Amino acid sequence: MKHSKDPFEAAIEEEQEESPPESPAGGGDDEGRLEIEQTPEESERDVGVRRQPKKFKSSVAVAEGKNKDEDEEEEEENMEAELTKYPTTADPAKMAKMQVILSQFTEDQMSRYESFRRSAFQKGNMRKLLQGVTGSQKISMPVIIVNCGIAKMFVGELVETARVVMGERNDSGPIRPCHIRESYRRLKLEGKVPKRSVPRLFR
Amino acid sequence: MSNTAAAAAASSSKSKAAGSSQAPEKRKPLFQKELQHMMYGFGDEQNPLPETVALVEDIVVEYVTDLTHKAQEIGTKRGRLLVDDFLYLIRKDLPKLNRCRELLAMQEELKQARKAFDVDEEKITSLD
Repeated sequence: MKHSKDPFEAAIEEEQEESPPESPAGGGDDEGRLEIEQTPEESERDVGVRRQPKKFKSSVAVAEGKNKDEDEEEEEENMEAELTKYPTTADPAKMAKMQVILSQFTEDQMSRYESFRRSAFQKGNMRKLLQGVTGSQKISMPVIIVNCGIAKMFVGELVETARVVMGERNDSGPIRPCHIRESYRRLKLEGKVPKRSVPRLFR
Repeated sequence: MSNTAAAAAASSSKSKAAGSSQAPEKRKPLFQKELQHMMYGFGDEQNPLPETVALVEDIVVEYVTDLTHKAQEIGTKRGRLLVDDFLYLIRKDLPKLNRCRELLAMQEELKQARKAFDVDEEKITSLD
Protein backbone atom coordinates (compact mmCIF):
# COMPACT_ATOMS: atom_id res chain seq x y z
CA MET A 1 0.00 0.00 0.00
CA LYS A 2 1.38 3.35 -0.95
CA HIS A 3 1.24 6.10 1.57
CA SER A 4 2.75 8.63 -0.76
CA LYS A 5 0.65 11.66 -0.04
CA ASP A 6 -2.53 11.92 1.91
CA PRO A 7 -5.18 12.77 -0.70
CA PHE A 8 -6.91 15.11 1.70
CA GLU A 9 -3.76 17.08 2.25
CA ALA A 10 -3.06 17.10 -1.45
CA ALA A 11 -6.50 18.38 -2.28
CA ILE A 12 -6.48 20.99 0.46
CA GLU A 13 -3.08 22.24 -0.57
CA GLU A 14 -4.30 22.49 -4.12
CA GLU A 15 -7.27 24.52 -3.04
CA GLN A 16 -5.28 26.78 -0.83
CA GLU A 17 -3.00 27.58 -3.68
CA GLU A 18 -5.90 28.64 -5.81
CA SER A 19 -7.92 30.72 -3.41
CA PRO A 20 -8.06 31.44 0.27
CA PRO A 21 -10.64 29.21 1.91
CA GLU A 22 -13.89 31.02 2.67
CA SER A 23 -15.12 28.32 4.93
CA PRO A 24 -13.05 26.81 7.71
CA ALA A 25 -10.68 24.13 6.49
CA GLY A 26 -11.79 20.55 6.73
CA GLY A 27 -9.75 19.84 9.80
CA GLY A 28 -11.11 22.70 11.80
CA ASP A 29 -14.82 22.37 11.84
CA ASP A 30 -16.97 19.87 13.56
CA GLU A 31 -19.95 20.43 11.42
CA GLY A 32 -18.56 19.48 8.09
CA ARG A 33 -21.70 18.94 6.16
CA LEU A 34 -20.78 17.72 2.78
CA GLU A 35 -23.02 16.61 0.03
CA ILE A 36 -21.64 14.38 -2.60
CA GLU A 37 -23.08 12.64 -5.51
CA GLN A 38 -22.33 9.09 -4.78
CA THR A 39 -22.84 6.45 -7.35
CA PRO A 40 -21.78 3.00 -6.28
CA GLU A 41 -18.43 2.16 -7.73
CA GLU A 42 -18.38 -0.74 -10.11
CA SER A 43 -15.56 -2.76 -8.63
CA GLU A 44 -14.36 -3.37 -5.12
CA ARG A 45 -11.15 -1.52 -4.59
CA ASP A 46 -8.84 -1.60 -1.63
CA VAL A 47 -8.29 1.49 0.38
CA GLY A 48 -5.78 2.41 2.97
CA VAL A 49 -6.35 5.92 4.14
CA ARG A 50 -6.66 7.22 7.66
CA ARG A 51 -9.52 9.59 7.93
CA GLN A 52 -11.57 11.16 10.64
CA PRO A 53 -15.16 10.31 9.92
CA LYS A 54 -16.25 12.61 12.68
CA LYS A 55 -15.03 15.60 10.75
CA PHE A 56 -16.54 14.59 7.49
CA LYS A 57 -20.15 14.16 8.23
CA SER A 58 -21.52 13.64 4.79
CA SER A 59 -25.08 13.36 3.81
CA VAL A 60 -25.54 12.71 0.18
CA ALA A 61 -27.61 14.52 -2.36
CA VAL A 62 -28.11 12.57 -5.49
CA ALA A 63 -29.40 14.21 -8.66
CA GLU A 64 -33.06 14.93 -8.36
CA GLY A 65 -35.88 13.10 -9.93
CA LYS A 66 -34.48 9.80 -10.99
CA ASN A 67 -35.50 6.46 -9.58
CA LYS A 68 -37.83 7.69 -6.92
CA ASP A 69 -39.41 4.28 -6.44
CA GLU A 70 -36.20 2.39 -5.91
CA ASP A 71 -35.01 4.86 -3.40
CA GLU A 72 -38.11 4.92 -1.37
CA GLU A 73 -37.91 1.22 -0.98
CA GLU A 74 -34.21 1.28 -0.37
CA GLU A 75 -34.61 4.02 2.16
CA GLU A 76 -36.22 1.61 4.50
CA GLU A 77 -33.26 -0.69 4.37
CA ASN A 78 -30.31 1.61 4.49
CA MET A 79 -30.81 5.11 5.70
CA GLU A 80 -27.17 5.68 6.18
CA ALA A 81 -26.29 4.71 2.66
CA GLU A 82 -25.49 7.13 -0.03
CA LEU A 83 -28.83 7.65 -1.68
CA THR A 84 -30.93 10.61 -0.75
CA LYS A 85 -32.86 12.17 -3.53
CA TYR A 86 -33.17 15.61 -2.16
CA PRO A 87 -30.30 17.92 -1.39
CA THR A 88 -30.30 18.75 2.26
CA THR A 89 -28.12 21.80 2.49
CA ALA A 90 -26.30 21.83 -0.80
CA ASP A 91 -23.08 23.61 -0.13
CA PRO A 92 -21.42 23.85 -3.52
CA ALA A 93 -18.05 24.81 -2.11
CA LYS A 94 -17.89 21.77 0.11
CA MET A 95 -19.31 19.55 -2.57
CA ALA A 96 -16.62 20.71 -4.93
CA LYS A 97 -13.96 20.10 -2.34
CA MET A 98 -15.25 16.65 -1.75
CA GLN A 99 -15.29 15.87 -5.44
CA VAL A 100 -11.70 16.95 -5.74
CA ILE A 101 -10.71 14.70 -2.89
CA LEU A 102 -12.67 11.77 -4.21
CA SER A 103 -11.25 12.06 -7.67
CA GLN A 104 -7.76 11.62 -6.24
CA PHE A 105 -8.45 8.46 -4.34
CA THR A 106 -6.57 5.32 -5.15
CA GLU A 107 -8.46 2.08 -5.65
CA ASP A 108 -7.61 1.09 -2.11
CA GLN A 109 -8.92 4.27 -0.64
CA MET A 110 -12.07 4.23 -2.72
CA SER A 111 -13.06 0.78 -1.59
CA ARG A 112 -12.46 1.64 2.02
CA TYR A 113 -14.42 4.84 1.67
CA GLU A 114 -17.25 2.94 0.06
CA SER A 115 -17.34 0.52 2.99
CA PHE A 116 -17.32 3.44 5.36
CA ARG A 117 -20.27 5.08 3.69
CA ARG A 118 -22.35 2.02 3.08
CA SER A 119 -21.93 0.11 6.29
CA ALA A 120 -24.64 0.55 8.86
CA PHE A 121 -26.33 -1.32 11.59
CA GLN A 122 -29.51 -3.05 10.61
CA LYS A 123 -32.52 -1.30 11.99
CA GLY A 124 -34.33 -4.58 12.70
CA ASN A 125 -31.55 -5.88 14.88
CA MET A 126 -31.17 -2.57 16.62
CA ARG A 127 -34.88 -2.51 17.29
CA LYS A 128 -34.67 -5.96 18.86
CA LEU A 129 -31.80 -4.88 21.05
CA LEU A 130 -33.61 -1.74 22.16
CA GLN A 131 -36.77 -3.64 22.90
CA GLY A 132 -34.80 -6.04 25.02
CA VAL A 133 -33.19 -3.22 26.92
CA THR A 134 -36.23 -1.07 27.49
CA GLY A 135 -38.73 -3.87 27.87
CA SER A 136 -41.26 -1.92 25.86
CA GLN A 137 -42.66 -3.08 22.57
CA LYS A 138 -42.79 0.15 20.68
CA ILE A 139 -39.57 1.85 19.81
CA SER A 140 -40.09 4.85 17.57
CA MET A 141 -38.19 5.15 14.34
CA PRO A 142 -36.10 8.19 15.24
CA VAL A 143 -34.81 6.43 18.32
CA ILE A 144 -33.63 3.51 16.23
CA ILE A 145 -32.05 5.75 13.65
CA VAL A 146 -30.25 7.82 16.23
CA ASN A 147 -28.97 4.72 17.97
CA CYS A 148 -27.66 3.25 14.75
CA GLY A 149 -25.85 6.47 13.99
CA ILE A 150 -24.36 6.82 17.45
CA ALA A 151 -23.26 3.22 17.49
CA LYS A 152 -21.55 3.52 14.13
CA MET A 153 -19.63 6.56 15.26
CA PHE A 154 -18.66 4.78 18.42
CA VAL A 155 -17.26 1.90 16.38
CA GLY A 156 -15.33 4.47 14.43
CA GLU A 157 -13.84 5.93 17.58
CA LEU A 158 -12.92 2.47 18.83
CA VAL A 159 -11.25 1.40 15.62
CA GLU A 160 -9.37 4.64 15.13
CA THR A 161 -8.11 4.73 18.69
CA ALA A 162 -7.09 1.10 18.30
CA ARG A 163 -5.05 2.04 15.26
CA VAL A 164 -3.39 4.79 17.24
CA VAL A 165 -2.56 2.27 19.95
CA MET A 166 -1.11 -0.04 17.35
CA GLY A 167 1.03 2.75 16.01
CA GLU A 168 2.39 3.43 19.46
CA ARG A 169 3.27 -0.18 19.95
CA ASN A 170 4.63 -0.46 16.41
CA ASP A 171 2.31 -3.32 15.63
CA SER A 172 1.04 -4.08 12.19
CA GLY A 173 -1.59 -6.21 10.56
CA PRO A 174 -5.19 -6.69 11.62
CA ILE A 175 -6.42 -5.14 14.81
CA ARG A 176 -6.27 -7.52 17.74
CA PRO A 177 -8.52 -7.64 20.80
CA CYS A 178 -5.78 -6.28 23.03
CA HIS A 179 -5.72 -3.09 20.95
CA ILE A 180 -9.47 -2.76 21.19
CA ARG A 181 -9.35 -3.23 24.94
CA GLU A 182 -6.73 -0.56 25.32
CA SER A 183 -8.68 1.74 23.03
CA TYR A 184 -11.83 1.13 25.06
CA ARG A 185 -9.97 1.92 28.26
CA ARG A 186 -8.78 5.20 26.78
CA LEU A 187 -12.24 6.15 25.61
CA LYS A 188 -13.53 5.48 29.10
CA LEU A 189 -10.92 7.82 30.52
CA GLU A 190 -11.98 10.46 28.05
CA GLY A 191 -15.53 10.07 29.22
CA LYS A 192 -16.96 8.98 25.90
CA VAL A 193 -18.44 5.80 27.31
CA PRO A 194 -21.48 6.09 29.55
CA LYS A 195 -20.67 4.87 33.00
CA ARG A 196 -23.02 2.65 34.86
CA SER A 197 -24.06 3.86 38.26
CA VAL A 198 -24.24 0.23 39.35
CA PRO A 199 -21.36 -1.89 38.04
CA ARG A 200 -22.40 -4.67 35.72
CA LEU A 201 -22.33 -8.09 37.37
CA PHE A 202 -22.50 -11.56 35.91
CA ARG A 203 -21.69 -10.75 32.37
CA MET B 1 -25.18 -48.17 37.79
CA SER B 2 -24.82 -46.69 34.39
CA ASN B 3 -28.34 -45.32 34.69
CA THR B 4 -27.61 -43.47 37.88
CA ALA B 5 -24.36 -42.18 36.45
CA ALA B 6 -26.17 -41.00 33.35
CA ALA B 7 -28.94 -39.52 35.45
CA ALA B 8 -26.41 -37.74 37.63
CA ALA B 9 -24.63 -36.40 34.58
CA ALA B 10 -27.91 -35.29 33.05
CA SER B 11 -29.07 -33.58 36.21
CA SER B 12 -25.72 -31.83 36.71
CA SER B 13 -25.69 -30.62 33.13
CA LYS B 14 -29.28 -29.43 33.54
CA SER B 15 -28.44 -27.50 36.66
CA LYS B 16 -25.43 -26.06 34.92
CA ALA B 17 -27.61 -25.01 32.04
CA ALA B 18 -30.12 -23.48 34.44
CA GLY B 19 -27.31 -21.65 36.20
CA SER B 20 -25.86 -20.33 32.98
CA SER B 21 -29.23 -19.19 31.68
CA GLN B 22 -29.89 -17.21 34.84
CA ALA B 23 -26.70 -15.26 35.13
CA PRO B 24 -24.89 -14.44 31.83
CA GLU B 25 -27.07 -14.17 28.71
CA LYS B 26 -25.76 -15.86 25.63
CA ARG B 27 -25.23 -13.15 23.03
CA LYS B 28 -26.08 -14.46 19.63
CA PRO B 29 -23.98 -12.47 17.22
CA LEU B 30 -26.25 -9.64 16.17
CA PHE B 31 -24.08 -7.40 14.07
CA GLN B 32 -21.22 -9.45 12.80
CA LYS B 33 -21.52 -8.95 9.08
CA GLU B 34 -22.14 -5.24 9.23
CA LEU B 35 -19.42 -4.82 11.79
CA GLN B 36 -16.85 -6.37 9.50
CA HIS B 37 -17.60 -3.90 6.74
CA MET B 38 -17.74 -1.06 9.21
CA MET B 39 -14.39 -1.85 10.74
CA TYR B 40 -12.83 -2.08 7.33
CA GLY B 41 -14.28 1.29 6.50
CA PHE B 42 -12.84 2.81 9.64
CA GLY B 43 -9.33 1.48 9.23
CA ASP B 44 -9.04 -2.19 9.92
CA GLU B 45 -8.01 -4.84 7.41
CA GLN B 46 -10.39 -6.11 4.79
CA ASN B 47 -11.04 -9.21 6.88
CA PRO B 48 -10.86 -8.31 10.53
CA LEU B 49 -10.07 -11.03 13.04
CA PRO B 50 -13.22 -12.77 14.28
CA GLU B 51 -12.29 -12.33 17.90
CA THR B 52 -11.84 -8.63 17.33
CA VAL B 53 -15.27 -8.39 15.70
CA ALA B 54 -16.84 -10.32 18.57
CA LEU B 55 -15.21 -8.06 21.12
CA VAL B 56 -16.28 -4.90 19.31
CA GLU B 57 -19.81 -6.23 19.07
CA ASP B 58 -19.89 -6.90 22.80
CA ILE B 59 -18.60 -3.44 23.51
CA VAL B 60 -21.12 -1.82 21.18
CA VAL B 61 -24.04 -3.77 22.63
CA GLU B 62 -22.96 -2.76 26.10
CA TYR B 63 -22.60 0.84 24.99
CA VAL B 64 -26.06 0.98 23.44
CA THR B 65 -27.53 -0.78 26.47
CA ASP B 66 -25.99 1.64 28.94
CA LEU B 67 -26.92 4.63 26.85
CA THR B 68 -30.50 3.42 26.56
CA HIS B 69 -30.73 2.76 30.29
CA LYS B 70 -29.62 6.30 30.99
CA ALA B 71 -32.05 7.67 28.43
CA GLN B 72 -34.81 5.68 30.02
CA GLU B 73 -34.02 7.11 33.41
CA ILE B 74 -34.38 10.55 31.96
CA GLY B 75 -37.41 9.58 29.92
CA THR B 76 -39.44 8.12 32.74
CA LYS B 77 -39.58 11.52 34.38
CA ARG B 78 -41.33 12.75 31.29
CA GLY B 79 -43.33 9.69 30.36
CA ARG B 80 -42.12 7.96 27.22
CA LEU B 81 -38.71 7.36 25.82
CA LEU B 82 -38.02 10.07 23.31
CA VAL B 83 -35.27 10.85 20.89
CA ASP B 84 -34.51 14.00 22.80
CA ASP B 85 -33.33 11.94 25.73
CA PHE B 86 -30.60 10.46 23.59
CA LEU B 87 -29.73 13.82 22.15
CA TYR B 88 -29.40 15.19 25.66
CA LEU B 89 -26.99 12.41 26.60
CA ILE B 90 -24.91 13.06 23.53
CA ARG B 91 -24.85 16.81 24.00
CA LYS B 92 -21.19 16.93 25.01
CA ASP B 93 -20.04 14.95 22.01
CA LEU B 94 -20.37 17.40 19.16
CA PRO B 95 -19.64 15.17 16.17
CA LYS B 96 -22.20 12.63 17.30
CA LEU B 97 -24.75 15.29 18.05
CA ASN B 98 -24.41 16.88 14.65
CA ARG B 99 -24.54 13.54 12.93
CA CYS B 100 -27.77 12.71 14.76
CA ARG B 101 -29.25 16.02 13.73
CA GLU B 102 -28.33 15.31 10.14
CA LEU B 103 -29.89 11.87 10.26
CA LEU B 104 -33.10 13.18 11.73
CA ALA B 105 -33.28 15.97 9.18
CA MET B 106 -32.74 13.46 6.40
CA GLN B 107 -35.49 11.28 7.75
CA GLU B 108 -37.86 14.24 7.82
CA GLU B 109 -37.06 15.09 4.23
CA LEU B 110 -37.59 11.55 3.10
CA LYS B 111 -40.92 11.49 4.86
CA GLN B 112 -41.94 14.70 3.13
CA ALA B 113 -40.75 13.33 -0.17
CA ARG B 114 -42.76 10.20 0.26
CA LYS B 115 -45.84 12.15 1.19
CA ALA B 116 -45.44 14.33 -1.85
CA PHE B 117 -44.99 11.25 -3.97
CA ASP B 118 -48.21 9.73 -2.66
CA VAL B 119 -50.08 12.95 -3.26
CA ASP B 120 -48.78 13.06 -6.82
CA GLU B 121 -49.84 9.50 -7.39
CA GLU B 122 -53.31 10.27 -6.19
CA LYS B 123 -53.50 13.23 -8.53
CA ILE B 124 -52.45 11.09 -11.44
CA THR B 125 -54.91 8.33 -10.66
CA SER B 126 -57.71 10.82 -10.08
CA LEU B 127 -57.02 12.42 -13.46
CA ASP B 128 -57.55 9.06 -15.10
